[in-house]
Amino acid sequence: MNVSEDALAQELVSIVGKEWVVTEREYMLSYLQDETPEPVRPKAASNLILVKPISTSEVSEILKTANQARVPVFPVGGRTGLVGACVPTEPGVILSLERMKRLEIDRDNLMVVAEAGATLGDLLRACDEAGLFFPPHPGDEGAQVGGLIATNAGGVRAVKYGVMRNYVKGAEVVLATGEVLNLGGKLIKDNAGYNLLHLVIGSEGTLCVITKATIRLHPKSEHSVTVVVPFNGRHEALQAVQKILLSGVVPLAIEYVEPDEINLSAAHLNEKWPVQAGRAQLLIILNAESEEELLVACEKLSAACSEIGAGEPVLAETREEQDKVLRIRSNIYTALKPQLVDILDVTVPPSNLGDLMDAVERIAAKHGVHLPVYGHAGDGNLHVHVMKEEGKASDYVAKVKKEIYEAGVRLGGVITGEHGVGAIRTQELTTATDEKELSLMRGIKRLFDPNNILNPGKVIT
Amino acid sequence: MSKGLKIVVLVKQVPDIEKVRFDYEKGRLDRSSAEAVINPFDLNALEAAAQIKEKIGGVVTVVSMGPEQAEDALRDALARGADEAVLLSDLRFAGADTLATSYTLSCAVRKLGAFDLIVCGEKTIDGDTAQVGPEVAEFLGIPHVAYVNEILDVSIAEITVKSRLDKDNYVVKMCFPGLITVTKDANVPRLPTLKDKLRSRKAEIAIWGVGDLTSLDEKQFFGLQGSPTWVARVFAPTSGKKKGQIVEGTPEEKARKVAEILIKLGASQ
Ligand SMILES: Cc1cc2nc3c(=O)[nH]c(=O)nc-3n(C[C@H](O)[C@H](O)[C@H](O)COP(=O)(O)OP(=O)(O)OC[C@H]3O[C@@H](n4cnc5c(N)ncnc54)[C@H](O)[C@@H]3O)c2cc1C
Ligand SMILES: Cc1cc2nc3c(=O)[nH]c(=O)nc-3n(C[C@H](O)[C@H](O)[C@H](O)COP(=O)(O)OP(=O)(O)OC[C@H]3O[C@@H](n4cnc5c(N)ncnc54)[C@H](O)[C@@H]3O)c2cc1C
Repeated sequence: MNVSEDALAQELVSIVGKEWVVTEREYMLSYLQDETPEPVRPKAASNLILVKPISTSEVSEILKTANQARVPVFPVGGRTGLVGACVPTEPGVILSLERMKRLEIDRDNLMVVAEAGATLGDLLRACDEAGLFFPPHPGDEGAQVGGLIATNAGGVRAVKYGVMRNYVKGAEVVLATGEVLNLGGKLIKDNAGYNLLHLVIGSEGTLCVITKATIRLHPKSEHSVTVVVPFNGRHEALQAVQKILLSGVVPLAIEYVEPDEINLSAAHLNEKWPVQAGRAQLLIILNAESEEELLVACEKLSAACSEIGAGEPVLAETREEQDKVLRIRSNIYTALKPQLVDILDVTVPPSNLGDLMDAVERIAAKHGVHLPVYGHAGDGNLHVHVMKEEGKASDYVAKVKKEIYEAGVRLGGVITGEHGVGAIRTQELTTATDEKELSLMRGIKRLFDPNNILNPGKVIT
Repeated sequence: MSKGLKIVVLVKQVPDIEKVRFDYEKGRLDRSSAEAVINPFDLNALEAAAQIKEKIGGVVTVVSMGPEQAEDALRDALARGADEAVLLSDLRFAGADTLATSYTLSCAVRKLGAFDLIVCGEKTIDGDTAQVGPEVAEFLGIPHVAYVNEILDVSIAEITVKSRLDKDNYVVKMCFPGLITVTKDANVPRLPTLKDKLRSRKAEIAIWGVGDLTSLDEKQFFGLQGSPTWVARVFAPTSGKKKGQIVEGTPEEKARKVAEILIKLGASQ
């Protein structure tokens, strides 16, 4: 830092006003961490200033000031990330866009223009009220549009419509120098040069600050159903995923769960999971234009599953019942959290998921540990949970994680399919990525942010 | 008669409370604004019946009074454990208050023939009176237990339940035929299986009108004609606090004092 903390705070006050600059640590505690499990969460630095701009021009002024003074800036969203990506790990400025949360729905183009601070919850509600639908649902509705884009979030409804990348059509971003760029737009096609928009999506706050985005929506389909299918074993359930997709049914979501974890989550919410049969289950969400169409899809799906000896599918049809099933699924993480060391999101080609599962079983047996799994089976994305053993996390943690990452890569996969690299996986990214590819990434980072002020220490080191 | 119990479940179709809008101009629910669902408490009634059937064997018949669309609620009930369904639908049933509703439902139960147990929800989420269950029992001249939150035991001849009234739980044993109304705590309603859902879509549903239930000279008991209730105004009551009073003395003195207090309040003579 080329400037005293007081002088910097003064400058920030002159940009956003006194009310929106926080220097007392006790008033910024919730900005110093995210949802990363405590044992692996990075520690926040001292000497931090929290600033909450209201407009793109204020964001621009803040970045200009920080860049001149070589002060690190940590963009934060809803702090729901799971890899410590938004944790301010060096003295500097925490930049929260929470006041920038306007949403403008454009029904004619089936798009919404959202400011970066709007939450996923705000977005879902606004779409619903307009009779439109935003499919991605990465668990925690407190996540913000900026964070969703910066992490290229996925979630349970990616099978049919894809992850954030498939939705973001345009973005207004502010570079480290304070310059404002408008990338993409309300366009379905755009081949004008290298696509910087897609470089920004998933850049975890290291390339620029996203202030606004144009996001594609779908018309709300009138009918949906959530189906739970029980299977005798892990393999049968995973095999069924391919059978379902080959049958021509395209669900919004195909989630893999096991009774122990899903019942734990239900108990945590004081609810009851509706299906007790089976050692493994698939939770499948379908939507369609009519009830007939839905039931035809259900029958196809059921036929595909029964080829591998599945039990009788159970249907949640009313909004309330479907919400309950999704809520229980979404809370597995929260229910496991007290005993959790780290949540992994290794992703492989969907047809290799069974092999990944076998590898996880072998690793668990080798180290004598319990590794609960669930995940977005339709996307080849498995959440393996490394848990405390007898209340403690010891040597086994690093070994188990390393072996799971290696297994994923060996099976043609990546170390992270949704949560990103953040602060806690920079080493693993370096190990798993080709040297040339890494050097190109470093070059891109330097071009965007020559003074390395944007979220330093994250993703690429 | 077949082995097992003959169980009748009364279900009402109500607007989905999550979605329904209130029409402030007309001062009532705009029923067209939301899809209709089975009254949530009636899902607990159905589940109770399904569990009893699983234990003892028997047949579960669902009965609903409502417009034609209530057929959807009955199909849903068939998917969730019921075997047969009857819809009571007739323009002359319209405008019914709880008395006429209960009368109509009791006529239908009579027409169904001998039965062992009637299961109702505790109340509905739209009418909210909790009167229909007990009134049906009175019309049929059978005992009832309301607010059942646990079924402790059931056999071919009787049922033992826990019923919660105010702060206390009562354990009651009732011989069949009888009626219970169940609360949300009684069980967790099951979700339908795909097989049952598909079966329910093809099932036949009997539709009965006034003519099916009684000789026409009694038609004045149905619908608006049979409804003495007159809604003057709808408002939320202010919650009056209950005032307790401790009476002391010998048992005789206490009894005398309590009698005096009751006479003063006009509650006794
Ligand atoms: C219970 C639970 C379930 C989850 N399930 C899923 C899931 O299914 N799929 C999934 O993908 N994720 C999931 N997540 C992770 C998390 O919700 C997502 O990664 C989310 O997108 C993060 O958004 P956020 O606003 O909370 O970002 P934060 O955690 O605040 O930040 C994440 C990153 O984005 C950057 N960032 C934030 N705002 C901006 C901005 N305006 N400009 C530039 N960079 C910015 C930060 O610097 C940081 O690098 C889950 C999390 C929880 C707690
Ligand atoms: C003057 C007047 C006119 C009315 N006109 C109409 C009208 O035109 N249309 C209308 O829909 N409502 C009308 N109502 C409301 C109607 O009286 C009540 O909805 C009905 O009596 C049920 O009462 P409740 O909803 O309070 O049921 P509750 O007593 O709270 O219900 C308890 C249980 O009884 C059973 N049950 C209740 N109703 C039915 C049913 N219909 N079929 C099967 N089982 C049932 C269920 O098991 C339920 O859980 C009118 C009310 C009044 C006072």
